[in-house]
Amino acid sequence: MNEKLKINFWRLAILVVGVGAWEWLTGIKAVSKIPGLYFIDPFFISRPSKIVERFFYLNSDKVRLTLWQMLLSTVESTFIGFFVGVSTGFVAGLVLGRNDRLARIFEPYIIAFNSLPRIALVPLVTMIFGFGLLAKVVLAWMIVFFIVFFNTFQGARSVDPDLIHSARFLGAREGQIMRTVIIPSALAWTFASLTPSISFALIGVVIGEFIGGESGGGIGYLIISSLGTLNSADMMVSLIVLAITGIVMALGIKQVEMRLLRWRPEYQPKG
Amino acid sequence: MSRLRIQIGDLSKTFREGGREVPAVSRVSLDILDKEFVALVGPSGCGKSTILNMIGGLIAPSDGQVLIDGSAVRDVPRQVGYVFQKDTVFPWRTVTRNIALGLEYRGVAGPEQERRVAEAIRLAGLSGFEEAFPATLSGGMRQRVALMRTLIVEPEILLMDEPFGALDTHTKLGLHAELLALWEAKHQTVVFVTHDLSEAITLADRIVVLTRRPGKIKLIHEVKLPRPRDVIKLRETDEYAQEYSQIWRVLGEEFAPPEGGSAPLPAPPPGLARAKPALEQGGSADTGHAV
Repeated sequence: MNEKLKINFWRLAILVVGVGAWEWLTGIKAVSKIPGLYFIDPFFISRPSKIVERFFYLNSDKVRLTLWQMLLSTVESTFIGFFVGVSTGFVAGLVLGRNDRLARIFEPYIIAFNSLPRIALVPLVTMIFGFGLLAKVVLAWMIVFFIVFFNTFQGARSVDPDLIHSARFLGAREGQIMRTVIIPSALAWTFASLTPSISFALIGVVIGEFIGGESGGGIGYLIISSLGTLNSADMMVSLIVLAITGIVMALGIKQVEMRLLRWRPEYQPKG
Repeated sequence: MSRLRIQIGDLSKTFREGGREVPAVSRVSLDILDKEFVALVGPSGCGKSTILNMIGGLIAPSDGQVLIDGSAVRDVPRQVGYVFQKDTVFPWRTVTRNIALGLEYRGVAGPEQERRVAEAIRLAGLSGFEEAFPATLSGGMRQRVALMRTLIVEPEILLMDEPFGALDTHTKLGLHAELLALWEAKHQTVVFVTHDLSEAITLADRIVVLTRRPGKIKLIHEVKLPRPRDVIKLRETDEYAQEYSQIWRVLGEEFAPPEGGSAPLPAPPPGLARAKPALEQGGSADTGHAV
């Protein structure tokens, strides 16, 4: 308990000192012959006070899309991409994992597609799906799909044959074996890939918004348009909001994962 | 005289290991009667599990056949239950839902399922653990779940592959007593594979001793201990010690080093320390049709 308090104290101390130093060092003038030069130029890294100010400005009705609306758009696309990616990845992993011939047929295509850096596809996806929600969702899907696919594939392959045998001795038919043995075994692997998947879905969406976010906005769009206006404060606002969103989503999914996998030894309550 | 339940005729199995043919079981013939408790013992790797898997239809024989109730085994036979050595309790299902599996597969649902599962949980002494996941249970409890899960669908034939092999001695003895009690009630036909001779003597009516790989039948021994048996007290009796030494004299040779050395491995039969050395009438206990 005491230890926990100490840890939290130091965490807070680092934050306060860091933000304080940032505010102070970007506020003082440098010793230089050129007048008006800052010790550290807030033009590039902005200042905490400026960031707070912009945060409220971006949430006011003075802008076309508020920060809140932008965030909502990003989160919405992330979740849609995540769910579509998880479900399609799961189905594909299960089907190929239980069918050796199909797996061998598709293997080179899957490897080729997976080796391709997803970011290289952004322009093409934007060209096909336009500057809206769909392109972002497709990007998130393409990343999540493969994470979930490979996990589920592995899971479907490594089903313990003795579990299948014991089900058969208990009178299970093929469909029942699928439902009560293979799917639950594979799902354990699928669930374990949910937490990384949500983070990667967010990456896909933000990349998509860099290029194609215009109509619906989105945090990625805010970042890239701040680059256009050389506005580091807005960028910082976006980054902080994005970091918090990422943490909240990952923690939320982690909770879901723990709930779904509560039968696993590592999730058993200790003591 | 009970009727024939399982007929094993000239059964052989050869495995292919990297282009090489490795014989695992060689020309085993054995008739098992209805309601009989038969134990297969032998050194590890002697093919006893392979025989069990062929009876259960998990692997196909290379030669010979297994008949259950007169018809050849191809797929997993309906009237057979199987308890594995390995933990095959489904980790994602609670105790209740594991035990209910067989009923679920057979379409027994609702209050009928609940009643039978509750009864099985009570019989297995798992009350209070109904909603527990297997990860929270001890090895012995998990194996009890596996046993009850098999017994709840009331198989007429029970195949057991070293079901208590991974458990400590005390847990094992407790489970022996439970298994015998359950068996006394229903009298399934049991084929029990083990490398533990005391376990075989405690449980079985007949003990089939197999040779080292490739497994052949070396001895078929009728255990003449009265039933019901008390698994603890049994071990202190002279009759038990006699049975043990008779079988061990034959089985021990199979544990000896394959070539050269003549000394059997140091595996003194428990309880034999007290036994009198005058156990010379041994051979007569054999049923005689050893291969």
